[in-house]
Amino acid sequence: MEPSAPTPNPEYRHAQPTTESAAASPAAENLAHLLTHEDVDRARDRWQVARARVRSRGANLLGRTRLLWLLIGPGILVFLGENDAPSMLSYSATGARFGIGFFIPFVVLTFLVGFIVQEMTVRLGAVTHRGHAELIFDRFGKFWGFFAMGDLVIGNFLTLVTEFIGVRAGLGFFGVRPGVAVGGALVIVLGAITTGRYWTWERITLGLAIFNGLFVPAAILAHPDWFALGHAFLTWTPLPTGSHYDILILMLADIGATVTPWMLFFQQSAVVDKGMQPRDISAGRTDTFLGVLLASLFAIAAVLATTPLFHHGISADNFQAAQFAEALEPWIGHIGASLFALGIFEAGIVAAITISTSSAYAFGEVFGTSHSLNRPLREAWPFYLTLLGSAAAAAALVLIPHFPLEFVVLTVNVIAVLAMPPALAFLLLLVNDREVMGEYVNGIWGNIAGVVVTVLLVFAGLGFGLATIFPHWLGG
Amino acid sequence: MTARMDDRSNQSRPENSGENLERLAAKQPSTFTPTVVLSLLEADQVVAAKQQTRFGPRQLSPGLRALLWGLRVYVAVMLVLVVISVMRALHAAP
Repeated sequence: MEPSAPTPNPEYRHAQPTTESAAASPAAENLAHLLTHEDVDRARDRWQVARARVRSRGANLLGRTRLLWLLIGPGILVFLGENDAPSMLSYSATGARFGIGFFIPFVVLTFLVGFIVQEMTVRLGAVTHRGHAELIFDRFGKFWGFFAMGDLVIGNFLTLVTEFIGVRAGLGFFGVRPGVAVGGALVIVLGAITTGRYWTWERITLGLAIFNGLFVPAAILAHPDWFALGHAFLTWTPLPTGSHYDILILMLADIGATVTPWMLFFQQSAVVDKGMQPRDISAGRTDTFLGVLLASLFAIAAVLATTPLFHHGISADNFQAAQFAEALEPWIGHIGASLFALGIFEAGIVAAITISTSSAYAFGEVFGTSHSLNRPLREAWPFYLTLLGSAAAAAALVLIPHFPLEFVVLTVNVIAVLAMPPALAFLLLLVNDREVMGEYVNGIWGNIAGVVVTVLLVFAGLGFGLATIFPHWLGG
Repeated sequence: MTARMDDRSNQSRPENSGENLERLAAKQPSTFTPTVVLSLLEADQVVAAKQQTRFGPRQLSPGLRALLWGLRVYVAVMLVLVVISVMRALHAAP
């Protein structure tokens, strides 16, 4: 049973939101003897930011660009990470099933919803310097904390499995054997984390993530109807036709492709690990918006790339990554199909890195072990072990013969949507908590948007529930 | 509640963006000494400081508790429905 009120641990002092320099703190003398590798690396990054900020004053465009370059990262990574293998397959299925129409602006809308939610995590991380899991455990106690962690762990693991399915299928198009593809992907994950430096890890992963843009040339090779695209944006038509149940599932999958619990945990922890401070919040918003912009562009490109299947009446109901690429080859050519397959591989690998990192951050925050990519392996081995272990376990499942991969792919995005309302409730409670956020609490519009998004997700889930119990109501 | 890490008012303190930071930003420090590191980080950004402090639990009102329980039941029911839905889809597949 839930404890009535968690009791504070007397050995901890009460934290409060502060923007005070550590050097000006009365505890400075004591802290100077307790600095870690992580603190020094973070201070190096902060020095770069401080110098760029001084140089960016006035109308110095180069200086401002340099400052933004230093501060972007978590927002772009979280959205391009969420443009993962199952998400790109959902967008591809949308294009193949319904062509250009309602779903194009709908996908953009889901990304805007994602922006509203993720911006809150930027503020939480920059103000509190604590990860999402840590704050939930601190403020709501272990009982609710472990529920939130349960949702995260299950969702993350299932999603990780689908990322390796994407890796396997994407490289399978080029004849690469599953063991080689999955093993190679694990080596890339390992390579990214062996740097012992958050900044280097972030730049490597950003470098990989930008290849999500491979869907753009694939879309151009599909020769989409640009007029129909503009018309769809303006009118949200043509509306999807056919089984209402299938439409609902695809809508849920597309929502689940943009707003998921791991994103909340990842971005807040990454903001903390990057060392962002309250004065960086506006840059964090720009970073998140850039992520939304790039991810929605690439998602629409995936929808457009598969519209030839819609126009030629080819059913893609049970397609997986490589099958999409093979089916598209007659219309977008071998180069287009190869770009599509590589895009699915990239989507899987980047998401495998970011999602396993999100699990590792949460594990470290909850169990009080070191949890920073600025820590060397010997200092934070449980963190790195969680990161690599979760990725390796998911990779191993994908290689088991007759493992029901289809089951996992079918469920992962839907589970993400269904687990989102409780995650959003914790997020809204934290971001409205003046003891935690000080002057950076949510404004009225942020709260209205957050509550509307939560209610809509609950209704989307209830619609799914009714359609499952009474499938004939929606033509399922 | 309990003793604060720093009992001075948050509002009355200058941000970490003061002259000190500007001086630091002017040229790269030859070494990141503890003084330099502490000047660049905020008070609760230092790992040791974070390890010594917690925001502490908040009191959950009955309404809030009901909301959290409601959402928990919602997730549990929905997960059962997901399993039913997927089983149906797998059985229907050729």
